[in-house]
Amino acid sequence: MNYFDVANSRLLYVLVGIGLLYISGLVVVFMRKAWRRALELGIPKKTILEVVKSSAVFTVIPSISVIIGLFSLSAVLGVPWSWFRLSVVGAVSYELTAAEMVSDALGFQSAGAMAAANNYQVFGAIMFVTSICILAGMITNIFCAKRIQVSMTRYRKSKGAWGAVFNFSFAAALVAAFIPYIILGGSVGIVVLIVSACVSAVMFYIVGKYKIQWLGSFIMSAALIMGMIAAVMATNILG
Amino acid sequence: MNKNGLSEYTNSVHRIGRIGTVIAIAVMLGIPVTMCTDFDMWPKAADLLMFCGGLLALYVPTGIVESVTYTPILGSSIYMSLITGNVSNIKLPCALNALDIAKAEQNTDEGDAVCTIAIAVSSLITIAVVIVGVLMLVPLQPLLSSPTVQVATSYMLPALFGCMFIRLMVTNPAGGRITGKWKMMIPPILFLLAILVFVTKLNRGIGVLITIPVMILSSWLLFKSGQVKVIQEGQPSAEEKQPNTVKNETITEK
Repeated sequence: MNYFDVANSRLLYVLVGIGLLYISGLVVVFMRKAWRRALELGIPKKTILEVVKSSAVFTVIPSISVIIGLFSLSAVLGVPWSWFRLSVVGAVSYELTAAEMVSDALGFQSAGAMAAANNYQVFGAIMFVTSICILAGMITNIFCAKRIQVSMTRYRKSKGAWGAVFNFSFAAALVAAFIPYIILGGSVGIVVLIVSACVSAVMFYIVGKYKIQWLGSFIMSAALIMGMIAAVMATNILG
Repeated sequence: MNKNGLSEYTNSVHRIGRIGTVIAIAVMLGIPVTMCTDFDMWPKAADLLMFCGGLLALYVPTGIVESVTYTPILGSSIYMSLITGNVSNIKLPCALNALDIAKAEQNTDEGDAVCTIAIAVSSLITIAVVIVGVLMLVPLQPLLSSPTVQVATSYMLPALFGCMFIRLMVTNPAGGRITGKWKMMIPPILFLLAILVFVTKLNRGIGVLITIPVMILSSWLLFKSGQVKVIQEGQPSAEEKQPNTVKNETITEK
């Protein structure tokens, strides 16, 4: 039996299918509860549907990068395990790093060389390593998420105007944290950032000025597409 | 409303989130356990420790930082977000977009509900798109492996953050408007930029951990000095009225 006989085995496809069914079921449970709560709170159904439409349209484009990751990862980890890892908490860079670390410790030049060596025994180690090392966030959630939310809600309520600014600070800090990396990443990234910002600003202006509310759902997708087109053009021009 | 200040809904969602996460971890570990048992390929514990050491050192702090920094924004949907992954590039923009569409604020029941709906839809779409990718693995490979698509997708993050920056600047929490937001952005960006250029390279998780306290401190100073103000809906801004007539405490607890 070789490496890919195990990595692409029927049993693994079945297990991955069961795993994804569970994750999808959990997501549906969350969604049903949130949907009912939103209606109870008086959020109009039209607004909720707008959120659904906008989220669905936006998600398709970034998900393409996940499929591209699937191609590179399946060459090393086989199809079903790559499929599972990229549908749940994993990411291409993390999974490849995990596979490389196992291959390095076993004395192979790369994860690809390890897969080509056809020793299926190492696949068990890879599955465990990729699963274990990324659990910290989920485990932290079990113990801390509720406490963090309680503290935030209390603080927000008790601090009035400053509470609103404090609340805003977290989202702003996250965006602010990524901008230096983009600036230092090179001229193409800066061009993409500016193009995306300009497209968004123009579309927000149009939505506000001419009251075209439906256009608001497509701002993020349009900015993403225009930014990516700008990336291709800027790479050709700036190199 | 419960004694801890959260509604019955939020308490119940946290309960589902905790139990759901424990089961998700069991599922994630159950697959390798079943495979190793069936194919008799159990790794030695000592080997596993050796393989995991470096990755744990890198990803344990990152995971903890993600949970701590994203929860104030994503609320109870953090459970779903971390189980399904792609938080900064898909889930976070979706949540901010949903808050904007519903004119809701983070850390309120309205905000929590719409964030959860947005992230649930996004998670299901990603799962569906990856299934399509698996089914179309052979026919799609030439197209998606082309240099043009590779370049385009490698710049997805700047394309997203350009939009998210503008969104933060032009949208406001329900019932109020924060002025001077762009001033709040400058200190953390410059501070992190200076560290990255003059001190050391850091991964993004640590970068977020640095910008949050800098952002809170600079926002507080700007707020206290009147450079950042919160104006209640229907109330004219400082520019529209006489200068410095809008007080910091415009919005009081409702």
